[in-house]
Amino acid sequence: MSAIASIKQEIKGYHMFIKTLMLLVAAGVLAAAARFIFGLGTTTNLSDVYPWGLWISFDVVTSVPLAAGAFVLGAVVHCFHIKKLEPLVRPAIVTGFLGYSLVCIGLILDLGQPQRGWHVFAYPNLHSPMFEVALCVMSYTTVACLEFLSPVCEKFGFHIPLRLLRTIEVPLIVLGAAIATLHQSTIGTFFLIAVDKLHNLWYNPLLPMLFWISAVFTGLAIVIVEAIMVHRYLKQPDETELLATLTKIIPWFLGIYLFIKVYTLFFLSARPLFDRPGLTILFLMEVVLGIIIPLIMFMSKRIRTDSRWQLRAASMVVFFGLVLNRFNVSMFGLIQKDQKIYYPSFLESVVTVGIIAAHILFFALIARYFPIFEHHPEEVDYSIPDRFHRIEKHPVTEKTI
Amino acid sequence: MSATRDFSQDRTFLIDMTRCTGCRACQVACKQWNQMKAEKTVFFTGEGYQNPPAMSEYTLTKVKFRDYEKNGHNQFAFYKEMCMHCNEPACVSVCPVSAFIKTPEGPVVYDTKRCIGCRFCMVACPFGVPKYQWSKALPLVVKCTGCYSRLKAGLKPACAKACPSAISYGSRTDMIQEAKRRLAARPDRYFNKIYGLEEAGGTSVLYLTEQPFDDLGFKHVTKRPLPSLTWAALRFVPGVFLTMGGSLAFISWLTHRKDRLRKEEEAKKSATIQPEEGE
Ligand code: SF4
Ligand code: SF4
Ligand code: SF4
Repeated sequence: MSAIASIKQEIKGYHMFIKTLMLLVAAGVLAAAARFIFGLGTTTNLSDVYPWGLWISFDVVTSVPLAAGAFVLGAVVHCFHIKKLEPLVRPAIVTGFLGYSLVCIGLILDLGQPQRGWHVFAYPNLHSPMFEVALCVMSYTTVACLEFLSPVCEKFGFHIPLRLLRTIEVPLIVLGAAIATLHQSTIGTFFLIAVDKLHNLWYNPLLPMLFWISAVFTGLAIVIVEAIMVHRYLKQPDETELLATLTKIIPWFLGIYLFIKVYTLFFLSARPLFDRPGLTILFLMEVVLGIIIPLIMFMSKRIRTDSRWQLRAASMVVFFGLVLNRFNVSMFGLIQKDQKIYYPSFLESVVTVGIIAAHILFFALIARYFPIFEHHPEEVDYSIPDRFHRIEKHPVTEKTI
Repeated sequence: MSATRDFSQDRTFLIDMTRCTGCRACQVACKQWNQMKAEKTVFFTGEGYQNPPAMSEYTLTKVKFRDYEKNGHNQFAFYKEMCMHCNEPACVSVCPVSAFIKTPEGPVVYDTKRCIGCRFCMVACPFGVPKYQWSKALPLVVKCTGCYSRLKAGLKPACAKACPSAISYGSRTDMIQEAKRRLAARPDRYFNKIYGLEEAGGTSVLYLTEQPFDDLGFKHVTKRPLPSLTWAALRFVPGVFLTMGGSLAFISWLTHRKDRLRKEEEAKKSATIQPEEGE
């Protein structure tokens, strides 16, 4: 009884914003329940013409690359050993883990027969991109969960698992990056089968590669946006200087992406390209606002190192470059001429808003209760442990004495 | 779907729309055989005079009506819509749980017990065939089965049996030969193309018409077998995984080794200095 009371007390102390998020999540849960009770047909605007709607376009196709920060940063920090970026890794892993868990929820909601999810293992079809992605998303969620266990163990002082986790840290990150490369690109492969359906502006054989590259730069951009937001609203340390390292990497990927995009457009895509004004506008918005302008911005040193401009450029990359691109490929670009337009139903939107709110809410709560920001490299011993004994409070300081 | 088998003996429909009277016996026969519910429909909701307006969870085949003008007269064209039973079906290749199967006899069938309801088959099918039970809480996909159960019992498909004039049924080679014979014999009557011969890499439903196929609303479909499009990317998966994992593992081994060496160096130094200091 007293535990509940103390939880109540704790929740009462939360900021209004957090309370609003909780309400939104609750609404999302109710809407999801309605979907299971009344069925997909009555609660969504999906139809035989639009078998995939908002849930696939946002909760799956867009969320997966949005959660890419974990694998990109993990690889940058641990494989390329840019240690000073270490403080950014844990928040990114939390985002990744949350993102993937929510992707799984989105998928379960969207499946017509969710109780048969295990059939993917029972009757695998190696030729199906969906099989590949399902497998990767599940294994990646497991990997991200293991990576996320470190701060949890630290919090509760579980020393032996912590030692274990640290031993497998690098292999986990390598494994995670390899799996992520696969499913990030395979989501692009999904749409290769939609030949004659997906508009020529987006349909090209290099779609999987474009999906992977855009996941990489979005992953980095998300880390920037998140770090700045967290600094502003959760009173965490200002990481502008560290972020400046990331803003040096992003323009390379943006540039390669733009190059491949233009190349595929002119040499690998079928014609006609610009026969649908609406789609042309969407395409130009995606390329100009989401790639070219941020690319120019990130090329100037002043913008790269100023936190306000970092935020602006990075959020443009995320919002126009990535979100718009994924919606274009998975929704708008699939609309045929003279077709009735799909728009998500109220319940569909409530669920998606709930999922976004859940992400922010859980992130804020985890940031509050677990050591994901106080984790600075000066206090960490990176050497692979040779014995399973208690980790001292300040192993490094001890050594340097 | 890299291995292609021989499709010449597959059971194939030859649907000659110039001989179709629009009686819709096939539509009714299909509904009866498959025990599909009637649909409540409103007239003029589809593209033309047809009813119901589109294939759906209750309607596996449907005759489309198209009106057009010829020599100043209004004319009708009919077009029986159904699953094309592709030689290399997109639906089979994308289904994550192999719920779709291309049978050795030709028809593409669907296993209701496996489907997880991801609806990828609907996105993938170039002809827009698989439909979903939107009315159900736990819906399944529905589509023409080529009357596989009848075929197994030595019967013709219900629609082909019911059709008084337009549908021929037989091996793919025979049907192609027959279609070519008709095209050659009456070039004035037919539009010179067999739809389904090459579409999506070839199908087990072939059409002949009087009008250009585009005008009748036949979908424009690439000649390449669709599964090859995704397979072109998917076949790299193991390679990409090994390359990516291998190179990252190597890089981190290198960087960590550098670190370890430096640390050992330092440790050695302090080890050689410390005893002196201690004494
Ligand atoms: S027409 Fe569509 S549903 Fe029928 S076999 Fe071909 S891909 Fe599958
Ligand atoms: S909806 Fe069912 S049959 Fe269609 S691809 Fe998904 S699992 Fe396979
Ligand atoms: S083959 Fe059978 S299931 Fe298919 S349209 Fe004809 S009657 Fe219907």
